Amino acid sequence: MTTSHMSPPLLSVSNLSTSFFTSRGEVKAVRGVSFELNAGEILGIVGESGSGKSITCMSLMGLLRSSGRVIEGSARFEGRDLITLDEDELSELRGNDISMIFQDPMTSLNPTLTVGEQVIETILRHRKVSRAEARARAIELFELVRIPSAAKRLKSYPHEFSGGMRQRVMIAIALACDPKLLIADEPTTALDVTIQRQILALLKELQGRLGMAVILITHDLGVIAETADRVLVMYGGMVMEEGPVRELFARPSHPYTRGLLASIPDLRDDTHHRLTPIPGSPPDMLRPPKGCPFAPRCPHAMAQCNAALPPLYHAGEGRRARCWLHHPEAPRVAGITAELVPA
Amino acid sequence: MTDIEIAPEMWAPTTRNGAAAEYIAAPSLTFWQDVRKRLWANKPAMLGLGFIILLVLAAIFGPMLSRHTYFEQNLKLSNVPPLFQTYEVTDSTGATTRFFFNSGNLNLYEVTPSGEVAGLLRATKKDLIKKQQQFKFGDKQVVLDTAKQQLSFADGTALAPSGWQWNMSNVLGTDQLGRDVLARQLYGARISLTVAFVATLVNFFIGVFYGGLAGYLGGKADTIMMRIVEVISTIPLTLYVILIMVVFNSGFLSVVLAIGSVYWVDMARIVRGQILTLKQQDYVAAARTMGASTPRILVRHLLPNSVGPILVTLTMLIPSAIFIESFMSFIGLGVTPPEASWGTLTSEAVETLRAYPYQLFFPAAAISLTMFAFNFLGDGLRDALDPRLRT
Amino acid sequence: MTAYVVQRLLLMLVTLFAIITLTFFLMHAVPGGPFTSEKMLQPEIQAALNAKYHLDDPLWLQYLNYLRGVLSLDLGPSFKYAGMSVNEIIAEGLPVTMKTGALALLCVVALGVPLGIVAALNRNRWPDTLVMVIATIGVAVPSYVIATVALYVFALRLGWVPTFGLDDWRGYFLPVFALSGFWISFIARLARSSLLETLQQDYMMTAKAKGLKRGTVLFKHGLRNSLIPVVTVLGPVVANLLTGSFVIEQIFALPGIGRHFVLSITNRDYTAIMGITIFYAAVLMVMIFIVDMLYLVLDPRIKYRADAK
Repeated sequence: MTTSHMSPPLLSVSNLSTSFFTSRGEVKAVRGVSFELNAGEILGIVGESGSGKSITCMSLMGLLRSSGRVIEGSARFEGRDLITLDEDELSELRGNDISMIFQDPMTSLNPTLTVGEQVIETILRHRKVSRAEARARAIELFELVRIPSAAKRLKSYPHEFSGGMRQRVMIAIALACDPKLLIADEPTTALDVTIQRQILALLKELQGRLGMAVILITHDLGVIAETADRVLVMYGGMVMEEGPVRELFARPSHPYTRGLLASIPDLRDDTHHRLTPIPGSPPDMLRPPKGCPFAPRCPHAMAQCNAALPPLYHAGEGRRARCWLHHPEAPRVAGITAELVPA
Repeated sequence: MTDIEIAPEMWAPTTRNGAAAEYIAAPSLTFWQDVRKRLWANKPAMLGLGFIILLVLAAIFGPMLSRHTYFEQNLKLSNVPPLFQTYEVTDSTGATTRFFFNSGNLNLYEVTPSGEVAGLLRATKKDLIKKQQQFKFGDKQVVLDTAKQQLSFADGTALAPSGWQWNMSNVLGTDQLGRDVLARQLYGARISLTVAFVATLVNFFIGVFYGGLAGYLGGKADTIMMRIVEVISTIPLTLYVILIMVVFNSGFLSVVLAIGSVYWVDMARIVRGQILTLKQQDYVAAARTMGASTPRILVRHLLPNSVGPILVTLTMLIPSAIFIESFMSFIGLGVTPPEASWGTLTSEAVETLRAYPYQLFFPAAAISLTMFAFNFLGDGLRDALDPRLRT
Repeated sequence: MTAYVVQRLLLMLVTLFAIITLTFFLMHAVPGGPFTSEKMLQPEIQAALNAKYHLDDPLWLQYLNYLRGVLSLDLGPSFKYAGMSVNEIIAEGLPVTMKTGALALLCVVALGVPLGIVAALNRNRWPDTLVMVIATIGVAVPSYVIATVALYVFALRLGWVPTFGLDDWRGYFLPVFALSGFWISFIARLARSSLLETLQQDYMMTAKAKGLKRGTVLFKHGLRNSLIPVVTVLGPVVANLLTGSFVIEQIFALPGIGRHFVLSITNRDYTAIMGITIFYAAVLMVMIFIVDMLYLVLDPRIKYRADAK
């Protein structure tokens, strides 16, 4: 970690804003998101559906649906701004330097092509190799993601695989060209619990072996705890809190993060706590509130929270939190604002 | 450390408003309110619906209001156009005769000042070799050259047309038997629409019964019944409508029977599918445990759930029934003369296409516009019922 | 794979059998015999005719005989054209119907699919609007209206094409256009909505995320999948091109099977009606079988499902 801080980050996103222009108006899905990602690091992005976590990554990849547009901000990847690249330059990068896996392996693979073809076409797109070489590489990849009898399975169609196996195929496709960055968008959400663990373990192992950086998008804090180095908590299209996983879990410095942690069951805890859901629903991004987006649901909300959007307060080593409670004059709230200092 | 200056009172806690936090931006609508709203916003669909309503009203009341009947013939006034160019001849006594030349049958017709067609003018002399006819108006003589289609006075000066005139006695003109085209159009609309509606209704009942039975029985019976449906759906149905028409002979009732008995397959599939999904729904099991009877379940749960797809299928079936009927009539298997439908009107118009092309216009326009209207309405209904399918 | 082929083949044979049976009994349900319209016939002649055409046999025997005839590809004699068999009537009209039908099918596929693709790729822009307006007209206006209007404008008024017959190559234009107009529009609409739906699929996103070129994404991943529903309707398209030819051949006075069929209906030539119906059905069944096999090539899931049964 300390050495990687010396070299410039692999990806540096700053002030990224993305909107969708619909018939009902402008939906501000992502509002001024900034973060950095170092080579070989696993960054978790966590948030409810609609918090803007997937849209952030789709904006980086240039994969927004036609009504969506990045309206400001930059995303520097190895010195190039992904946002200003044209479609041709982006498609050179996609699947090559940056690759992506999706939530639902049942629908993410083309049902009418063999899985082998879907891996091979990726290799042939980005590498100057013969078809036979690409095929050999595909077998190697299948073995890497532990698909049994790899050579034979290349000829199978997606419907002949189980969900877990399909996600392995997706991972094989993503790893085909040794990417420097892998974006995994809810890679385990659609899978059975036991399969989830296998896939996560595989991802973590491959990351260690191949040394790529990973952005892991999920709404499941458990997944983050097991896998990520650092975590970004998003709400209402904004970064609410950021920090190293252990510290953030031990001492959440935003009421939303605390709410998220309180709403997941902890099996190690045998004092019969009731799970506390966060009341209310996420804000309407057509008309985002003027102040803190979480204020209407926040147990500590103050007049100031509805009046103005809080800035991101730097809170110690690599930690940031967007909450007025971190203002020096704000009332102290036990468990959230203890030893934090504003930047 | 510098930070934003904030007034102390701003740190006061606010009470969390549960209702506000649960506030959902868009007002919530029931399914049918939503459907109505979407349908209402769909302009082509509403235009189609408006046209259909007008058409139905015209088909019901039009023939009652018309002063002609669809079967009354007047061979002397056959093939009169709806709009013609008039000529005027004034003799020395000052009596003016207004008339027009029908180039289709080379006749002159007298026209009253109000625009009514008074009758055929008889030639005083016909010279078949020179292709000339002579007409006498008092002491004036007019020669009609049928080859050149020219009118001139006896001295050779050409007769200039005096103006255009709408046909006031037969607004859309007459057909080759001198029947009023408008009356026949309205009557044709009546027949075509009745055939379509009744045939669709027959299909609906057969489909609901068959599909409902298959879905309700389930198991082997269902498999066999659906195999039969599969076989039927691969048969070219138009052929069977034709065969049934051959067996029962042409006529209104056989058209309804033939069309009604053949196109129920889609309906049966939909109803069966709905019943099958319904059977697996937990809330149906719940209703059953609570002692709801089968008819009650069918009415309370099946109907609201399947009414959408059924409605769309019905709306789409009506134009195909109109089309099939006109198709049958066109090849001579539809309603029998003097009854009229849009199909027979079109095929009659085709016979006189060379001489009176405009006669094709009215039935062709009527049927095409109706098809448009039903298609728009059907598309609109489908989109309104299932916004996911919107393309 | 074989399970699927066998299953389809069986369905085809069962359907064909059902059609033959249905047609036979429908035609024998016609009140009175085939010669009743000629009232002048004396009883002896009537009896002789009945004997000649085996009409005095019990119905089941007639049915079995007819079935045997059909199996040996003999559709029997025509009742109206003495000395002419139904086979000969069909053989006479076949070339004309085949030529116009095949050209129409070609037009449907070669015009309908590209139009739909152009519309989908330019969604809500002018090419889309243009295609949809034309397609909506094409779906709503009946083929015989298109045919007669086209006949009047292009043949009678402008004189660009002959009004009837196929002696001149230009004679094909109007019948083929009238025959295929509806289905070009229908296929264009279907291809458009199918491609739009396919473009929304997750695997299209995957294909883009792999960095594939736009063309590859569109043609290799999008088009192939979106064509599956188009292929499935090609069977019914053929059926409707065949039945559509009744009217079109009538309007343009083409000596095809459709015209013979309409003629035999007006003449109440029952064996011809029966024979031509069965011939049509057989052609159609073969077409549907071909489409099913095409489907097998396009969609690997079919084979899997059929084999799993």
